[in-house]
Amino acid sequence: MAKKRLVKRNVRVLDSLPMLIVCIAVVAALYVACLTGLASNNAMRYMIQIFLYMTMGEMWNLLSGFTGMTSLGQQLYVGLAGYSVAVATTKLQLSLGIGLALGVAVSVVIALLLSLVLFRMQGMYFSIATWVVAEAFEKLFLSWKYVEQGSGMTIRVVPYPKISEICAASLTLCVVAVAVVYLLLRTRVGLGLTAMRDDITAASAVGVNIFAGKLLVYVIAAAFIAVAAGIFFVNKGIVYPESGFGIGWTVSMIFIVTIGGSGTVSGPIVGAAIYVFLQEFLAHYPGWSNIILGAITILVIFFLPKGIMGTLQEKLGFEIFSAKRFSFARHR
Amino acid sequence: MSNILEFEDINAGYGRIRILNDLSFTVEEGQVYGVIGPNGSGKTTMFNALIGLIKPTSGRIIFDGVDITRMSANVRCKMGLGRTFQVPRPFENMSLYENVLVAAVHGGSNSERFARDLALSSLKMTGLYDKREIRAGELTLLDRKRLEIARALGTSPKLLLLDEVAAGLTDAEVKDIMRLVADLKAAGYSIVWIEHIIETMVGSTDRLMCMAEGRCVADGAPREVIESEEVQRLYLGVDENE
Repeated sequence: MAKKRLVKRNVRVLDSLPMLIVCIAVVAALYVACLTGLASNNAMRYMIQIFLYMTMGEMWNLLSGFTGMTSLGQQLYVGLAGYSVAVATTKLQLSLGIGLALGVAVSVVIALLLSLVLFRMQGMYFSIATWVVAEAFEKLFLSWKYVEQGSGMTIRVVPYPKISEICAASLTLCVVAVAVVYLLLRTRVGLGLTAMRDDITAASAVGVNIFAGKLLVYVIAAAFIAVAAGIFFVNKGIVYPESGFGIGWTVSMIFIVTIGGSGTVSGPIVGAAIYVFLQEFLAHYPGWSNIILGAITILVIFFLPKGIMGTLQEKLGFEIFSAKRFSFARHR
Repeated sequence: MSNILEFEDINAGYGRIRILNDLSFTVEEGQVYGVIGPNGSGKTTMFNALIGLIKPTSGRIIFDGVDITRMSANVRCKMGLGRTFQVPRPFENMSLYENVLVAAVHGGSNSERFARDLALSSLKMTGLYDKREIRAGELTLLDRKRLEIARALGTSPKLLLLDEVAAGLTDAEVKDIMRLVADLKAAGYSIVWIEHIIETMVGSTDRLMCMAEGRCVADGAPREVIESEEVQRLYLGVDENE
């Protein structure tokens, strides 16, 4: 009887076929809306933003919510990707695809190099160090002649992709990002990551390879954030040191994850949608927008410490995209 | 019988502070090896050096015939060192089952399918089976201590390292834990066991070492160690009649 109760409390919704079908249907509908012109250009502009922020939110959540690496420097990879795309397409006249690939390559290499230094630090020290490194890169790009210093680089892609194509690409990226995070958490490595988040010393004492786990997550996050940022800047058409390497990027990711629910795969999906609409709404109140965003974050932390999805899942007893392991055979 | 563990002149500490001074001792396979000593004598530091949380500045640690002095903690765990923490460190947001599963998958180098049975049997052995789906953060101290043992068992250790598993518990709970350790011994585990409760240690261990200031001051049959002059002075102060 006890077992029955346990199963009921923890039904993993995605395990049921209907949930999977709903997910596929929603994604398919979004694709159709993008590609057939069903969605207006204005709607697609919102969708692109939401998909890109979802990707970044998922990655920051993977770092902080699932692995315990609270990085304040993920804007580093936003900036590197933005400039990679600008250099590849505008300076070197290469295709957009190569630009995006270059962004990923540069980000991964820098992430690998930085890991040697950054992973010697933990907790707050790691957070601050990541931020400092990102700031240092901003200063570097501000004074680097090749990338036009402080005046920034325009991004001219020929032929310029249609907005529907950008939208479809963003959607693909965000679906892949969610899938990668979910599947990674379902592996043995993912199990170890969750243990690391809760207690890194105990995790190493029960045989979890801390360095390997951190490295994998940090590199995955850098790569996905680079693609998202690359697409973002193509859409924007210009990149400055401040717009690329600003802490604002990470602040957005933190907001999205906190509002949606840290340590839940579904959290950033909800958080990103809320963030984009809030930002749009708050654009009418310049100067107030950050204060209001901050106030909302504080209220959520006070009243819904597990975020919207975290609290909902706890109250209603379901989990979407859960990586939780159960001691009994899966409920069908 | 062969030696499962040898400490050879280990010097270790935190930063510049040296805690272990030329510590040497040997544990035989199948033994329950008790370690006592006053607070600050370096018992827990000895465990930290043993499982690789701190690196010795000199000396060698031989485990199961292999020099592990320079190996990282996760490798040592996979080789068969399973440790409990004096202040329990559960993975608080994971269920008890997941806590032990992590150990069985990573420390035991098993696939999740195989690790599941190992995790469940570890939970059964420590009496936590019925609570296996509870979040570890919600446990009482006794159950946290049990979870420490279950998690160490999950890694399929050759040598089990127990760090004050009975400290801070009520008398009745201490009896529970003692029974558990006796079961583990009967199951054939080699054990190094740090504890303060001297009387119980005499009854439950095969050999006893007393540490003070990072050294081994007495090592031998439990009764003899307890009655040795060194240990009497450390624990009871100087006998005024002498």
